[in-house]
Amino acid sequence: MSDSHPIDAAIVTSGLSKRYGEVEALSRLDLAVPRGAIYGFLGPNGAGKTTTIRLLMGFVKPSAGWATVLGHDAWRDGVAARRELGFLVAPDALYTDMTGLAQLDYAASLSGRPPLLRGALLDALELSEAALGRRLGTYSKGMRQKLALTAAIQHDPALLILDEPTDGLDPLIQRAFEQVLRERRDLGRTVFMSSHDLAEVERTCERVAVVRGGRLIAEETIVGLKRRQRRSAEVVFRGAVPEGLGRVPRVATVGHRGDRVELSIDGDVAPLLRFLAGEDVVDLLLPPPRLEDIFMGFYGDGTDGERDQDGPADDGQHLTERVSEGVELVGRR
Amino acid sequence: MTALVPMTRRLLGRGLPGLLALLLGIVLFELIQALVVDSFGGTEGLGSLLDTLPPAIRTLARAQPEFLAVSGLAGYLSFGFTHPLYFVLACAVVVGFACRSLAGEMERGTIQLALSRPVSRARVYGARVLGLLIIVAALAAGGPLGLLAGLLYARPEGEFVYAHLLPTALASGLLFWAIGGLTLLGSAAANTSGRAVAWAIAGLIVSYFVDYFAALWGLLETFEFLSVFNYYDPAQTLVNGRLRSIDVAVLGTVGLVGVLGGLAVFVRRDLPA
Repeated sequence: MSDSHPIDAAIVTSGLSKRYGEVEALSRLDLAVPRGAIYGFLGPNGAGKTTTIRLLMGFVKPSAGWATVLGHDAWRDGVAARRELGFLVAPDALYTDMTGLAQLDYAASLSGRPPLLRGALLDALELSEAALGRRLGTYSKGMRQKLALTAAIQHDPALLILDEPTDGLDPLIQRAFEQVLRERRDLGRTVFMSSHDLAEVERTCERVAVVRGGRLIAEETIVGLKRRQRRSAEVVFRGAVPEGLGRVPRVATVGHRGDRVELSIDGDVAPLLRFLAGEDVVDLLLPPPRLEDIFMGFYGDGTDGERDQDGPADDGQHLTERVSEGVELVGRR
Repeated sequence: MTALVPMTRRLLGRGLPGLLALLLGIVLFELIQALVVDSFGGTEGLGSLLDTLPPAIRTLARAQPEFLAVSGLAGYLSFGFTHPLYFVLACAVVVGFACRSLAGEMERGTIQLALSRPVSRARVYGARVLGLLIIVAALAAGGPLGLLAGLLYARPEGEFVYAHLLPTALASGLLFWAIGGLTLLGSAAANTSGRAVAWAIAGLIVSYFVDYFAALWGLLETFEFLSVFNYYDPAQTLVNGRLRSIDVAVLGTVGLVGVLGGLAVFVRRDLPA
């Protein structure tokens, strides 16, 4: 195993790959998920998120490379790897002929650990005792999701692997669940979650990995990603636009209408703010960078499905383009 | 061990109504055999009826006159254990369980509930084997118990050694163990329960008809040894109380090979998406 990753990482993958016949679902993924963090795993449909999670869970065998979960090889030593792990099973994969309570008891009996957090989770997710007494066949999608979340977390695992955890939850419950995750994180637990909800990821995760076409294209803290993101700003001056504006590092003028200037800032905004402090500024519009904009920047130039079909032929070029845009990329070939 | 019991209970509980219905069907079918013999006037009346059947039908029913002439009541009652309906009911239970509990769970994703916990694949598979053994035991006991109830109720004319029901139960159990083991192997390799059921049914039909036509068509006699039904002879067990050791060895080994083969496949394979 490589020693390039932190030893205390909750999840480490090295060259992790999975092929299904001719289709390369995941290609040489190198990842280290630090303990005690909420880690987002992003990508469009077919990007390789679910394949990665299935590899981490030992549901499928790597074609190449390896993955460790809490220090144990995910495929060869899966039982030990899953001893302190909580996994969100798809709501469709629950037994519809069981009551909610029987389902939770069954999950607890297989975990071999008492369901210490069950009561608190049921309260937070607003799943009533009456609902627990009913068969899952009568549950709505959201209720099944709540039950699956409770089953995953009730035994207080050290690591949570969650694939689309808030899918089907209403916004209020979604916020309550995010709070649950933060509480787990504050107690030193690790959360590895995939999500399509970028606002949710932005609210809860400290760090994200972005995959596309089975390859990792970015891995960074959200703060870092935002800092490196090209941003736009609009400044209104009293009188003429100062001449020195064009010499401010990392700032380019993209539009000019009278006393109003549209700027493009590459990365840190501090040099611009320092310059503006000495000028007669009437207004400054500097929208906060959004994860969604960053995400769309990664995917805006093509569909992932096409990449899956065409293979990784243009990936090197793609990475080069991204690097030139000032976004740190860690895609490995 | 702690995970094995709840998993097995879950597997058996999920299909319990269907399992009980089919078991009841087997019990009633065997119970009726005793009533039928009695209603035809005992062995003599039934013998006259069988004489009127074409040879092929007698072969299908495994009712050879020369055997029946000396086997008496027990010989007639053994028809109930070789009747196609008996096989259909019993195989539906065995094949249904083996396919639903493994390929079906992989297809629906419910197997992830266990495999996302600190439970090894071997243990998850072991729960299926334990469930299969319980079902085989229930099937093996069900037929003889039904026949016993029918005999005690109708009390048809003729000699019958009740102790011979035990080797008959064992013979049936071994046959269903072999079928179950092979089906579990197919179930471990399949991605859907539908495919596993199709493989099992195809195998059973071929095996049954190789055994059946071998009695009518000499060419197939060469291949008769390949059929699991070739090693199942309830007439011998019910009439003589004798279970051939070669039958025990072959059926026991076939079931074991199927089960171990299924384990080898299951612990190495990818779960279907």
